[in-house]
Amino acid sequence: MQISSEEIIFLIGLTSLIFLIAPLFLIIYVVSYNRKKKKHQEEKLLLQKTFENELLKTQIEVQEQTLKTIAYDLHDNIGQLLSITTITLSSIDLNNKDKAAEKLAFVDDLTNRSIKEVKALSRLLHGEELVNRGLAAAIEFELEWLKRSDKFKIHFEKENFGVFSGDGAKETIVFRLFQEIINNIIQHARATEIFITLEQIENAFKLIIRDNGAGFNVDETLKRKTGMGLHNITKRAAMIGGIASITSTVGSGSEIVVTIPY
Amino acid sequence: MMFITINTGGEFICFLAAFIFLIKDKDTAWRLFIPYLLLTCICEAMGVYMRKVAHIPNYNLYNVFLLLECGITSYTFYSLYKPFKNTGKWLITWYIIFMAIYLAELVMNHFKSFVSITASVMSVVFVLASLYYYYLKLMDENFERLAFSAPFWWVSGALFFYFGSTTCNIFFDYLSQIKPINNQLSIRYYIFILLNIILYSFWSYAFLCRYLQRRSFSS
Repeated sequence: MQISSEEIIFLIGLTSLIFLIAPLFLIIYVVSYNRKKKKHQEEKLLLQKTFENELLKTQIEVQEQTLKTIAYDLHDNIGQLLSITTITLSSIDLNNKDKAAEKLAFVDDLTNRSIKEVKALSRLLHGEELVNRGLAAAIEFELEWLKRSDKFKIHFEKENFGVFSGDGAKETIVFRLFQEIINNIIQHARATEIFITLEQIENAFKLIIRDNGAGFNVDETLKRKTGMGLHNITKRAAMIGGIASITSTVGSGSEIVVTIPY
Repeated sequence: MMFITINTGGEFICFLAAFIFLIKDKDTAWRLFIPYLLLTCICEAMGVYMRKVAHIPNYNLYNVFLLLECGITSYTFYSLYKPFKNTGKWLITWYIIFMAIYLAELVMNHFKSFVSITASVMSVVFVLASLYYYYLKLMDENFERLAFSAPFWWVSGALFFYFGSTTCNIFFDYLSQIKPINNQLSIRYYIFILLNIILYSFWSYAFLCRYLQRRSFSS
């Protein structure tokens, strides 16, 4: 079959037209993909903002915890010491010199103990700086305070644990996680012993907190409103790319393992 | 009046756009478009003169112009790739390959016709270069508003022009042998009018985007 030159010209024109439609669709595709990229970037920005807000909240909570500890200590320790000092001083009879000397020696001891307490409080007031010194140091200091209450037997192990990331935000969040877990044990666990382990494993570190308290049903607690604290722990761990696994059996304590990559 | 055609008109408007919007541009690749488009206008006018007044073939003029077209367009692609990766070696390799094909075709044709095979190869390479730019743009994590992106519109214009002209380049020999429509102009001429309108509209808009971008940076 012979094809006329008009038909060939028509075919060339048609092919050229098709060759023009192809780039048009390609441009539409690139533009629509670019729009998706914009949306993705906005979502990323929102996530970053949420993280920053959560970090700020965490920092405030660490401060609040410090202030609470100070308030308790002022009331329970220094307050009591100073009250006893006042009572002892007002009961001194200057005519009875032997008894007065004994009481003054007691007052001297009370005053020294008060000074020690105030010094310890002053160190605690700089608690926010603790996290800057490293996570292990901050945890050690917090545990030191807890040991003073004599309510718990504390076992703390940190093997080959250095600075894990140099990321201050991550360390603050982990420290707050530690505080939240310890608070939960103090308030609900009815435990007598707390075991804390800091481990450095390949490209991650592990914080294990175990107690010998009453234990609880993890699934049921997570379903209830009271499980918000536990939700908070898993949410915050996930925020820094980590995992918090909670295991507990009623009557035989609980264990929380926080694994954070660095 | 015979020099004022849709092609020469479009080229001249694009040259004016380049002159107004790119005269103070700091990037050499963009500023090069002012002399390039001026030379395009002169070449087109000379082509019309040779064909309509002197009645002599103008293929040698377009053969020389092809060198300029390849040089400037390739260099522009190279400068557009720069923010993503350095393709200096690719540019030099391409220039060598292009020159080899160009000279070989010229010798084979005894310098007596347009280097259509070289033009076809060049079109295919520029289509691939445009697609590669899109690929780099898609892979880039940074978001840029494409509606006001000068490189994007420049590349889109080039893609339309070189992709659209592929058929004409492939059938160049056939089209130059057959009788033109209305006994005046060939189908190739009409297709190139359409392609030139698209190319120069896109490029003029790209130059405007470049100007707006420069203004927003300086203010």
